[in-house]
Amino acid sequence: MTGWDWGQLAFVSAVTVVVAPLLSRYLAATFRGGPAPGDRVFLPVERLAFRITGIDPDSGQTWRGYAMAVLAFGAISVLFLYAVLRLQGVLPFNPTHAPGMPSGLSFNTAASFITGTNWQAYSGETQASYLAQMAGLVVAQFTAAGVGLAVALAVIRGISGGSRTIGNFWADLTRSLVRVFVPISVIAALVLVSQGAVQNIHGFRTAATVAGGTQHIPGGPVASMEVIKLLGTNGGSFYGAGGAHPFENPNGFTNMFDLLLVIVLPFAIALMFGRLIGRRRQGRAIVVVMAILFAGHTLISMQAEAHGNQLLPASVSQVASGHNLGGNMEGKESRFGAGGSALMTVGTMGTTAGATDSALDSYTPIGGAGAFVAILLGEISPGGDGGGLYSMLVLVLLAVFLAGLMVGRTPEFLGKKIRAPQMSLIIAYVLALPIIILVLGSLSLVLSVGTKSILNPGMHGLTEVTYAFASAAQNNGSAFAGLSANTPWYNTMLGLTLLAGRFVPIVLSLAIAGSLAGARVHAQTRATLDTAGPTFVAFLLGVILIMGGLIYLPMLILGPIGERIVG
Amino acid sequence: MRRQILTSIVMLLTITVVLGFGYPLVVTGLAAVGFDQQANGSLVYRDGKLVGSSLLGQGFSDASGNPLPRYFQPRPSAAGVGYDASASGASNLGPSNPLLIGFVPGVNTVGLDGDSSATNPFATRADPSCVPTDPKGNPVTSPTSGQRYARGPGGSYVCDPDTIPERAIAYRQLNGLEAGAPVPVDAVTASGSGLDPGISIANALDQVPRVARARHLPESVVIQLVSRANQGRQLGFLGEPTVNVLDLNLALDRIR
Repeated sequence: MTGWDWGQLAFVSAVTVVVAPLLSRYLAATFRGGPAPGDRVFLPVERLAFRITGIDPDSGQTWRGYAMAVLAFGAISVLFLYAVLRLQGVLPFNPTHAPGMPSGLSFNTAASFITGTNWQAYSGETQASYLAQMAGLVVAQFTAAGVGLAVALAVIRGISGGSRTIGNFWADLTRSLVRVFVPISVIAALVLVSQGAVQNIHGFRTAATVAGGTQHIPGGPVASMEVIKLLGTNGGSFYGAGGAHPFENPNGFTNMFDLLLVIVLPFAIALMFGRLIGRRRQGRAIVVVMAILFAGHTLISMQAEAHGNQLLPASVSQVASGHNLGGNMEGKESRFGAGGSALMTVGTMGTTAGATDSALDSYTPIGGAGAFVAILLGEISPGGDGGGLYSMLVLVLLAVFLAGLMVGRTPEFLGKKIRAPQMSLIIAYVLALPIIILVLGSLSLVLSVGTKSILNPGMHGLTEVTYAFASAAQNNGSAFAGLSANTPWYNTMLGLTLLAGRFVPIVLSLAIAGSLAGARVHAQTRATLDTAGPTFVAFLLGVILIMGGLIYLPMLILGPIGERIVG
Repeated sequence: MRRQILTSIVMLLTITVVLGFGYPLVVTGLAAVGFDQQANGSLVYRDGKLVGSSLLGQGFSDASGNPLPRYFQPRPSAAGVGYDASASGASNLGPSNPLLIGFVPGVNTVGLDGDSSATNPFATRADPSCVPTDPKGNPVTSPTSGQRYARGPGGSYVCDPDTIPERAIAYRQLNGLEAGAPVPVDAVTASGSGLDPGISIANALDQVPRVARARHLPESVVIQLVSRANQGRQLGFLGEPTVNVLDLNLALDRIR
């Protein structure tokens, strides 16, 4: 890594350290109930929304009611988006003449965007109309983000609150859209446009190039989608090349701005948790764990990519100097460089965004493994909007339980005892996704419908397939894109994986929260385990790494680690 | 449940109207007022005709695909047949794929008996990592028995011109560099978008003598234009300094 790479990492860290606490204060004030900042603007908008939709924001729901609302909204959203994608060919706002998507691809894409995964088996330039992008995909990106934050709020209320009800889903969703996602998106979109990101409603414009050829220059409402793709930890791009495309990510500044749009909000949500439960130390402890994991996987990848591909001929100069970029530049843009590309791409991998500015398939084995590990650890560094927090809270409960066993005391978190009913749900939560990833990944490696989509031979091909299922199950959406995933097998299997990967954890974490909602809060004594101190932080890190290692290490050895050793 | 579904439908429709249409159109309107040039794709015109976008790379080759020596050459591109802006994308070739790095003994070569540590069966002295490809462009991974290397349709043996070792050879030839001279990595690798508008300074400087010769210009003039097309780091420290190839070539054309 060059000094410049370290400088960019330091810049990102510094901005996060300053902005996330400020944002968390705003979030806590917004979601605590009662008067909130910006009420003069936002309150009338909210009231209007509640009147149109007929929602009583003050009627609390039990965890079952909340979960039912989430599932109903998810199901309707999938159906609606599926219809838009199938019919886009005959609907208006289609200057690029994209035909309706076939059914398998429409299902896969609808599931992918509603779950916030944004796995893209289609190519944006030619296969999606502007209407589908705006009214279909962008809407899904907003709602996926809003649902994530809403569920996190409900889980917080359940775990810490004294009431049987855990809030109102419709009110949480509306508030998070009106007060968080939309205002930030409008401002950030204009920042991106000022740097060169495209925002128009033209189709292709034909240029006669200098050398006498032609080039069809694309257009589209790109910046508005780019922002919510990042801020909502979605990851789905307007164009096929994603964040590598100069019209989405024009320069080195936007590259870091994009990364910050992804990671600052999840960190702020974790801090908001601390504020809402009145124990800011607890929020900070969780943020420290997230940040250590983030630094770990990001640095591994940056280091590997800046070091370059050792298999290239020695005369290809991969050493960075004042004039030479250096590093593994296959699939990377010159304006970002190898280290800067890895920072942005792998930096977002610990969230559900999986937004990339470079081609993961062409990463070195260890560089790609950094991204893979971030996903396999469950996307908690810092995780998706809301999703990062509720995933982490489940792991915290698991760690509390294990620590309780060690010291021989009934485990408790925030004064509430963790007993058998909670533990069954927690274990189900922890095992659900690995089972999906490993079973469906293995099937794809033994069936010819699965193996014939692989582009790169050998161990790298195994990584392409297992990565696809991990990315789908964890709602990440990034890909080792050499895999031709637009086939009936992958569209269907990955589509089902996406839905399970989103809604199973949501229902289970709401159930855990529901089972703790209204439970008796025990007074803190000297013997109570301190869940916010350095000892617990280290213990929690250990639990996360050992759990992930036990489940996934064999797969990683057959994939990237083996590739590195043999290469 | 029925109530939840009804609420879902009303909610989704409201959000679609406000965020699906309102939000992008408001942003489009604001962008058109504040940043019209950028919002429309930073288009570049010459004599009133659209020649491209300063953010998108384009090819500078003749009709048969040979690089024009009087223009600076961009990076290799995996977008369509090269710099196709309607098909952005990367090669997605893995770091040990023979289509990217050629056949490297002990890494991705396979001998006749399946021995993976075999030396490259297609090697020649001039090109130890050659990868012959079949007519479809797939690598020929093992020679048919008794044959030393695969032969193309014309009977001669063909190497894939798109592997990094082959690109390095072509780059040196084009720019008059001696055999084995170091080649900047960005000059032989395809970008993530296939539309990379920039090249490294090292890559540009390697091309200066060739361009100067083709245009009968002193090298110092060309070097000056290169440094003017260097975009530098954002805010002085974000990203990498790159030379914008389209800007540079247009500036050259303006001289003669």
